[in-house]
Amino acid sequence: MKRWITLKDFLLVAGLVFFVALVCRPENTVNAQDPLASAERRGKQIYVLGTSASGKDIFAYVGEGSIEVPASTMACASCHGLDGQGKPEGGVSPSNLSWEALTKPYGLAHPDGRRHPAYTERGVELAVTRGTDPGGNRLQNVMPRYQMSKEDLADLIAYIKLLGKDRDPGISETKIVIGGMIPATGGLTEMGQAVKAVTTAYFDDLNSQGGIYNRKVELKFVETADTPVGTRANLERMLKEDQIFAMTGAFMAGSEKEVSSLLAQYEVPSVGPFTLFPQIEYPLNRQVFYLLSGIDGQTRVLANFVAGKPEFKNSSLMVVYPRSDFNRNMLESIKDQSIKAGLKPPTVYEYAPGSFDALAVVKQLNQSDPGKPLFFLGNTEDLLSLLQRAAEANWFPTVVAAGAGVGSQILSAPAGFDHKVFIAFPTSPADQSAEGMKEFRALAEKHKLPSTHLAAQISAFTAAKILTEALKRVGKDASREKLIQTLEGLYEYQTGLTPAITFGPNRRIGAMGSYVVTIDLKQKQFVPASGWINVGK
Amino acid sequence: MGYTSPFLRASVVVLIALVCFAAPPCDGHFVQAQTRQKAQPKAPRKYSCPMHPEVKSTRRGRCPKCGMTLRLVTDKADSPIAADAPPSNFPGVIIDTTAASSLQIPDVPVLDQSGKQLNFYSDLVKGKTVAINFIFTTCTTICPPLTATFRRVQQDLKTKAVDAQLISVSVDPTIDTPERLRDYAAKFRAEPGWTFVTGSKSEIDSLLQALGVAVVNKNDHTPMILIGNDAAKFWTRAYGLSSPTALIKTITEAAEHK
Repeated sequence: MKRWITLKDFLLVAGLVFFVALVCRPENTVNAQDPLASAERRGKQIYVLGTSASGKDIFAYVGEGSIEVPASTMACASCHGLDGQGKPEGGVSPSNLSWEALTKPYGLAHPDGRRHPAYTERGVELAVTRGTDPGGNRLQNVMPRYQMSKEDLADLIAYIKLLGKDRDPGISETKIVIGGMIPATGGLTEMGQAVKAVTTAYFDDLNSQGGIYNRKVELKFVETADTPVGTRANLERMLKEDQIFAMTGAFMAGSEKEVSSLLAQYEVPSVGPFTLFPQIEYPLNRQVFYLLSGIDGQTRVLANFVAGKPEFKNSSLMVVYPRSDFNRNMLESIKDQSIKAGLKPPTVYEYAPGSFDALAVVKQLNQSDPGKPLFFLGNTEDLLSLLQRAAEANWFPTVVAAGAGVGSQILSAPAGFDHKVFIAFPTSPADQSAEGMKEFRALAEKHKLPSTHLAAQISAFTAAKILTEALKRVGKDASREKLIQTLEGLYEYQTGLTPAITFGPNRRIGAMGSYVVTIDLKQKQFVPASGWINVGK
Repeated sequence: MGYTSPFLRASVVVLIALVCFAAPPCDGHFVQAQTRQKAQPKAPRKYSCPMHPEVKSTRRGRCPKCGMTLRLVTDKADSPIAADAPPSNFPGVIIDTTAASSLQIPDVPVLDQSGKQLNFYSDLVKGKTVAINFIFTTCTTICPPLTATFRRVQQDLKTKAVDAQLISVSVDPTIDTPERLRDYAAKFRAEPGWTFVTGSKSEIDSLLQALGVAVVNKNDHTPMILIGNDAAKFWTRAYGLSSPTALIKTITEAAEHK
């Protein structure tokens, strides 16, 4: 009898040891978050970006005329590739820089007839700074000579020795670490838990089917904080300590700028963050891929929708908005889209946030532009008081509204506005195919997912699905850069739950468009007013 | 507008070149080179591109036009002009005047790096001396050296007071928005007088076609520079990775062409 217990104990202890071994592995400790040593990491920056971590200048001198340019315009990786294998283009074949190739004991013979003995560290230094190979020959004339400090040169060579062997953080032969961020404040905790549950269920299923190229997905979650700065700090801690390869369905709402800039800084690709305000200003944040249009895209859809109505041919929009930088940007979008859609430039009415005088607005606009469609950018409360005052004045203009706050309270508008108020939605039940819903329902039943917050769950599910699809397309030899390039190549990808998703080198919103719905005040519901209106290229 | 196919023109050039080589003397150049050969009885080894017989070199290397490895030429029919040709590791300007002089520049609508709408011929080329190269901002191997060369050319033209405009045409207009071109121009510190051009894919494609640089895959685009004086109807082509000095010489000659 006792023997059996011992065996059981043994198993328990073995399990514990294994567990301890797991948590004590060097990559789980804080100091070793980066697989590269510091010299190699600094060297990588020089190799990839052509800039020095020390802040010292690095210059490149090109051709016979020794034209001086910043090395950032001609970083090593540009021609030799991130893996050092060389990227032939326009008749130029950059050499293979892997250390094995450079140090072949019998030397090298190049296709152009150049021959030389094996490189040494000193040899590489001379190639980088003087443009000569160990045989004393000149290198190809498109290979610049670089001027950098001794320390930078040593760092660069430390990294060149590793070329093709270093991996991005969060990926190994057996696992890939994916991060999530869920809300933990402001009454959103339950939604956060639902998102966590569906994401975990999705990747558990994937792992039970073998993962992605034999790599198991390891999920890590972090919670948002009360302030954007706090949220950013939480996320930064996770990115550093847990070596996150990529993020899925991160809850970014309220801290869009902070979170997206952090993801760019740590070069962590992120698919399908939760937000109505995608950060898509130029220069592009390459890391963050949004699924649906935000307020900006919805605004453009509404301008197109109005322009498509025969009664507003050659008319213009009357934009009413509370003063803010964001709404001024929206105004620019409306102007731009009006002109594209064939409307005249809009007229504007700006008011101070929190002091909306609906009566004054109605008086002024009813006199100056009674026939014009109104474009309202304020919150639902302001909109309702506007509709109330307008109804009292027996004025029932067409109103389009794009705003984060326009919710179902709008269904209590005065009866005269029945089918007169239009709102854009970036997705609709029509996007949910039978197959897409079947897949989602099967997962929900199997893992007993909560029945609440379905929209958020579907959004998180779609993000996980797209990230997985992209990782599968990348192939076994995955890197963050390849993941970004693969996502950029995604064209009309059917998720079964959202409009088709297309990204591109200049495009970070998967479904650039929206549906327009209007209010049915008798049935107290939203009814479709348009099909899908595309505003992407 | 009907243009003779650039391929057809190129093959005519090759034919002319072959006839010249086979039936010397066809110009003063030959005589000069032959004299030199007499003075040096040990003729240097000669290399030539299998695809572009006009490319000659005294060293091993690659063809600056197509990138193929140059082959040793033993044939007696080979032109002695080779002795004058620059070593291919630092190729000189390879001029191909015949092909380019009949060039017609289409007046397609394009956008510059500030997003301004321009007509390519009437706004950028008409009555001017110009040098045009072909780039794309996501190109990493040859475009940076091409652009850096143009930067030096622009500075030198300024100090030499040669009145010539530089144009960089994107061969990847769908990706290269005016914003991207503006950043790219800023990176290389391009000054006024250097216009970066993009536009709708179909317009840019027709422009590239007309200039004889259209390629199916953007990564195959050649490091070629088109140099011309529109007022004098003089056009020539040069290898884009030539030394800035050699390019300046060609541009100055084009500007002074009557």
